[in-house]
Amino acid sequence: MGPEWINPYHLQVASFAFINVILGVSIYVTLATGQLSLGNAGFMGIGAYAAALLSTRYGCPIPAGIVLGGLFAGIAGILVGIPSLRLSGVYLAIATLGSGEVLRAVLVNWESLTGGAVGIAAIPQMGRVLLSRAREAGFAPESIGLRNNQFIGISVFLILFVCAFLAVLFFLRLGRTRVGRAYAAIKLDEKAAEAAGIPVTYYKVLAFSQGAMLAGFAGALYAHTTSFVSPSDFTYHRAVEILVFAVFGGSEHLLGPVFGAAFLTMLPEALRSVSDYRDILYGILLVLTMVFRPQGVLDPPLLRGFARFRRKGKA
Amino acid sequence: MKRNLRTSVALACLLFSLLFLGAREARPANGAKAAPIRARIGVISILTGQGAGYGEAITDGFKLARDEINAKGAVNIELVIEDSGAKQEQALAAAQKLINSDRVVAILGPTLSNEMKVVGPEANASGVPILGTSTTAKGIPQIGKYVFRNSLPESLAIPASIGAVVKKYHVRKVALLYGNDDVFTKSGFDTMKEVSGRLGLKILTVQEFQKGQADYKAQLTRIASLKPDAIFCSALYEEGAVILSQARKMGISVPFVGGNGFNSPKVVEIAKGAAEGLVVATPWFADRGTPKVKAFVARYGKAYGRKPDQFAAQAYDALYILANALERAGAADRGRLRDALAATRNFDGVLGKFSFDAGRDVEMQPVVLIVKDGKFQPFH
Repeated sequence: MGPEWINPYHLQVASFAFINVILGVSIYVTLATGQLSLGNAGFMGIGAYAAALLSTRYGCPIPAGIVLGGLFAGIAGILVGIPSLRLSGVYLAIATLGSGEVLRAVLVNWESLTGGAVGIAAIPQMGRVLLSRAREAGFAPESIGLRNNQFIGISVFLILFVCAFLAVLFFLRLGRTRVGRAYAAIKLDEKAAEAAGIPVTYYKVLAFSQGAMLAGFAGALYAHTTSFVSPSDFTYHRAVEILVFAVFGGSEHLLGPVFGAAFLTMLPEALRSVSDYRDILYGILLVLTMVFRPQGVLDPPLLRGFARFRRKGKA
Repeated sequence: MKRNLRTSVALACLLFSLLFLGAREARPANGAKAAPIRARIGVISILTGQGAGYGEAITDGFKLARDEINAKGAVNIELVIEDSGAKQEQALAAAQKLINSDRVVAILGPTLSNEMKVVGPEANASGVPILGTSTTAKGIPQIGKYVFRNSLPESLAIPASIGAVVKKYHVRKVALLYGNDDVFTKSGFDTMKEVSGRLGLKILTVQEFQKGQADYKAQLTRIASLKPDAIFCSALYEEGAVILSQARKMGISVPFVGGNGFNSPKVVEIAKGAAEGLVVATPWFADRGTPKVKAFVARYGKAYGRKPDQFAAQAYDALYILANALERAGAADRGRLRDALAATRNFDGVLGKFSFDAGRDVEMQPVVLIVKDGKFQPFH
């Protein structure tokens, strides 16, 4: 029953890859202005908790909850961004890491709202909600030859694919606009950019809050994919994981972190058959990247090289 | 730009296809022997990273039980063991793999309650029975009718240990101490508070600490100044052992009642003499004299070179409970197995008599232990 090649397991892994791709974009946006922010795990937590609370406590529809989750995180990004962007380099990294931990401490201690360390369970999972809606509307997945969990897997996969695709597309296009040019100018030389009349603070806060909003958006999607969130999901481990997407994939081009996120999400799954050595292989891969491609796997010269190669192939 | 996009997508596709070349596992061919009920059972456990120690004990318990059950011949079990790395996403992906790629008839695990809260709803929605062997937090079987556990929940363990201490030492006033940033210790504390209220104990103070804290003198000084009759402490053994030794050094000599986290030989190892007077309730006591327990301890020791702990014992019993249900179900069918599992009553295992109640939660009698002369002994 049901086409066998549609495997919810593969769809699940791909779904997590898409969430991580959005997180990869979120760290790239701040990196595009030359700022290293490690607060994305905290912002992700805000988005996840906002969406989870809105849907479990206030009966808010899931799409609205996800958008609001992103917006809350964006607002938090502005609030954190304005004071901390007076710092730069490693100081900014530490300040943002600290603010992420503060947010986590709030989640642990504000028990009446967040449930403390126990977290929030039974968050409606978007695929299952969609399935029950479809059934209410008289549509049975069996009618197109799908099992329930295949239908759930496919719907989650498609929703997350569209979200990740739009996020990547938006920021690819943004690079070509006035805003993107301003980011690039600030990254190359802040003083020169200021002298050229670019309102540096404005753009830095903008990039920072865009990154926060995306991270919150990813967090909200995460909450409605796993149906459970707790403060331990948003520790600095998560912040470092997001950073590794950019470090491994490459932080010079948007597609770097996107590639890094997707690849590093799937790698542990592909290595399941040698589960005892997974962590070792993961570590070796990162070390090799640092040695041979310290700028990350994908960088603009490589991408240009591919483009040239393709042109030649066509001619 | 567009070309860049296309080429890099092509590159990514290439890399991923390379990645997945190695990903398909060979499926063992099913022999056509008719007699035993053949069942493929999935295990999700922590094999790498933090908490791998639990995962090792648990999978060892499963493997020992599998070999014994298969030798008996009525049921033939094949275990498919997957790693969760203590991460919820990976636990969920592993569950999806087991449910959809390996087509297991039931899942044992995952190790942590957090992971179960993510995996449980998925297994339930897919109609696969899932049996947690180490998930003690509140609300696990309530996830759905396919979700079970055989690990003693704190809501059974803590009333037993507190009840015994209150009765013996005539405790009236208590101090509570717990780690507030961990789901396990927090949930243990909630139960302690509830039980104290039920028994009419006066709570003098509630003190909190965080994971990895090294110095508890501030909290302990406050507690000492209030002179409680007993201290109820919800901590994992890493912090718990340090708390005990610092408390004893400060001259706090009242009994300590620990949550499930204290129930580890490591506490005595780390705290040494300071662990004297620690009371815990546990489903598992390796020195219990019954023949079943003796035989299990001997076989486990022979296979793995150490004494089985609570996690190994719970895992061992869990697979037996499952095999027993499979026999009654008569076939490796997910739905029938669930019904048979739910009907498990008075199962006789190494943890003693075990039943599922109507809500698929645990019904059993915990043993209350006290640390005396450097080891856990029954508390009377």
